[in-house]
Amino acid sequence: MDGTLLLQLTINGVLLGGVYTLAAFGLSLIFGVSGVLNLAHGEFLMLSGFLVFLVSDRLGINPFVAVALVSPLFFAVGYAFERLLIRPLALRKEHVRLASATLVTLGAALILEDGAAFFSLGTEFEKSVGYFLPTLRLGPLVLPSLKLVVFGLVALLIAGLAAFLKYTYVGLAVQAVTQSPRGALLNGVPTARIGAVAFGIGTFLAAAAGGLEVIHSYVSPLIGLPLTLKYLCIIVMGGLGSFVGVALGGILIGLGESFVGFLNPAWGQTVAYLLLVLVLLTRPTGLLGK
Amino acid sequence: MRRSVPVLALGLGGVLVAGLLALPWLPLAGGGYAVKVLTLLLIYVVLAQSYDIVGGTMGYVNLGHIAFFGLGAYACGIAFNAGLALPGALAAGMAVVMAFAALISYPFFRLRGAYFSLAAFGLVKLMENVTINLRWLTGGSNGLKVAAADRTLPMYYLTLGLAAATILAGWLVNRSRLGLAMKSIREDEAVARDFGVPTLRIKTQALVLSACFPALMGGLYMWYFNFIEPAQVYGLKIALQPVAMALLGGSGLVVGPVLGAALLYALEEFIWTHVEHLQGAILGLVVVLVGLFMPGGVARLAPVQRLLERIGLREDDR
Repeated sequence: MDGTLLLQLTINGVLLGGVYTLAAFGLSLIFGVSGVLNLAHGEFLMLSGFLVFLVSDRLGINPFVAVALVSPLFFAVGYAFERLLIRPLALRKEHVRLASATLVTLGAALILEDGAAFFSLGTEFEKSVGYFLPTLRLGPLVLPSLKLVVFGLVALLIAGLAAFLKYTYVGLAVQAVTQSPRGALLNGVPTARIGAVAFGIGTFLAAAAGGLEVIHSYVSPLIGLPLTLKYLCIIVMGGLGSFVGVALGGILIGLGESFVGFLNPAWGQTVAYLLLVLVLLTRPTGLLGK
Repeated sequence: MRRSVPVLALGLGGVLVAGLLALPWLPLAGGGYAVKVLTLLLIYVVLAQSYDIVGGTMGYVNLGHIAFFGLGAYACGIAFNAGLALPGALAAGMAVVMAFAALISYPFFRLRGAYFSLAAFGLVKLMENVTINLRWLTGGSNGLKVAAADRTLPMYYLTLGLAAATILAGWLVNRSRLGLAMKSIREDEAVARDFGVPTLRIKTQALVLSACFPALMGGLYMWYFNFIEPAQVYGLKIALQPVAMALLGGSGLVVGPVLGAALLYALEEFIWTHVEHLQGAILGLVVVLVGLFMPGGVARLAPVQRLLERIGLREDDR
C-alpha cells in the first residue's frame, strides 16, 4: 500500500466518520440526559431523509435548503416522543426501566420502519437526490467535493452544538443533568423539561444527518436499525458523557470501515462491532470515559 | 368476592392440568396443524424462559440472547453435516455455545445496565455478519442445509421435553443459592459485592446456564427445518421476541415467560392470518404498549395473582 492510497483511504474514512459523528452526538445527548438507549434514533434519521427527498424532489428546492427546512421539525418530534413514550417510564426500577425503554423504542422503530416501507412501495425503494458537484483533484488525490461540503456542514453543526452546551443556560442545564440528575434537580434545574429538550435536540441532529445522508448517499426504510446500532457502538466506544470521545469513536469507525472495506469489502460492515468489543475488553468505560 | 374465586380457580387449574397432561398425546389425536403450531410455541417458551434467567432473575437485559440460538443452530448443523448423529451434533453445538458464553461474559459483564444490553445487541449483528462472511463454513447468505426428512413428530416431543427442562431449570434457579445471588445483583450489584457475592463468577454462571437452552433449541430448529439462513436466526424480530414475551408475561417469575410466549404468539398468529398490511407495525405497536403499560407483566396483575395463588403457582416475588 503506497502513501497516496493510504492518504486517500484516510480522507475517505474521516469524511465517512464525520457524518456518523453527527447523529451519534444526538444519541449521546439523549442517553446522557435520560439514560435511555433510543433504538428509534436511526428511524428518525431515515424518516427525515425521506422527507428531504420528497421536499426537494416535489417542490424542486435545493436539497441543502430542504434539510434546513425539514430537520428543525424533528425537534418537535423528539420532544413529543419523550413526553409521550419515555417520560412515563421515568419512575420505574432501574432494570425494569431499561427493559421497558428498550421495548418502547424498539417497538417505535418497528412501526416507523414498517410504515415507511409500506408508504414508499410502488416507487423505487432507495431514495437519493441527484445532486452533484465536480470532483476536486489534488495531485493524485481525489477529493469528493460533495462529501467535503457535507463534512463542513457537520463540523459547523457540531461546533454550534458545543457552543450551545457551553454558553447557554439550557446547554449548561443539559450538561448538569448528564452529570447528576439529582444534583441538577436540587439546584433548580427543571430536569423533566431538560430531558425533553435534549431529546428534541438529539432527534434534530439525527434528522440533519438523515438529510445529509440522502444528499451524498441514499436512504431506504431498512437503514434505521443498523445505523442506530452503529451509533450506539460509537458512543459506547467513545465513553459516556465525553463528546470528544464520540467524535473519536465516529472517526475511528469511519477509518476502520474505509480501510477494511478496501482490503475486503465483505468485512467492512463488521468493523464497528469488532472495534467495540476490542475497546470494551481494554477499557470498559470507553476510550475517554471516566 | 373471595368466595367466587375458588370455583373459577379450581376449574382453571383443572383445565391447566388436563391441558398439560394432554400435550404428549396430542399427535395421536391426529392434529397435524396443532402439532406444528405447538412446536413453534414451545420454541418460543424455551427462548423466553431461558432469556429470563439473565434478564428477569439477574436484571441484565440481554438483547443478545438470540446469538446463542443462532450459534447453536449453525454449530449443530455443521456437526450434523460432518456426519455426527443428532445427539452428538446437539452436544457439539451446546459445547460451542457454552464456551462462547463463558468467553464473552468476561468483556461483556464489565458493562452495566444499558451498556451491557446494547453491546449484547451488537453481538447479534456481529454474529450475523461473521456468519455471512464465513461462506466456506456456513454457506454465507445462501444458508445452511442438512439432509431433509419429515421430523415433525420427534421434533414435537424433543421440544416439549426441552421446554419442560427449561421451565424446571428456571424454577430451580429461582429457589437456589445461585438464584438468590443473582437477585441480589439485580437489586444492587455494588451492595451485593460488598457483602461477599462473587458477582463476576455468578454472572458468568448465569449466562452460561441461560445459553445452554437456546443452543439446544437452535440445534433442534436447524434439524427440524433442514435449512437456516443468517437473517432467520439472527434477525431483529426473533431477537426481540423473547424479551417482549418475558416482559409481557412477567419478567422474573417462572410462569411469566410461559404466559407471555403463549399470549404474544397467539396474537402474532392472529395478525399474520387476519391482517393484510403493516403486520410489523402492529407488532411494534403491541411491543410499545407492553413496554408502556405492563412493566410487571400479565402475571403480576392482581386478578391473575389471585388465580395463581389458588392453583398454587404464585411465587414469592422479591
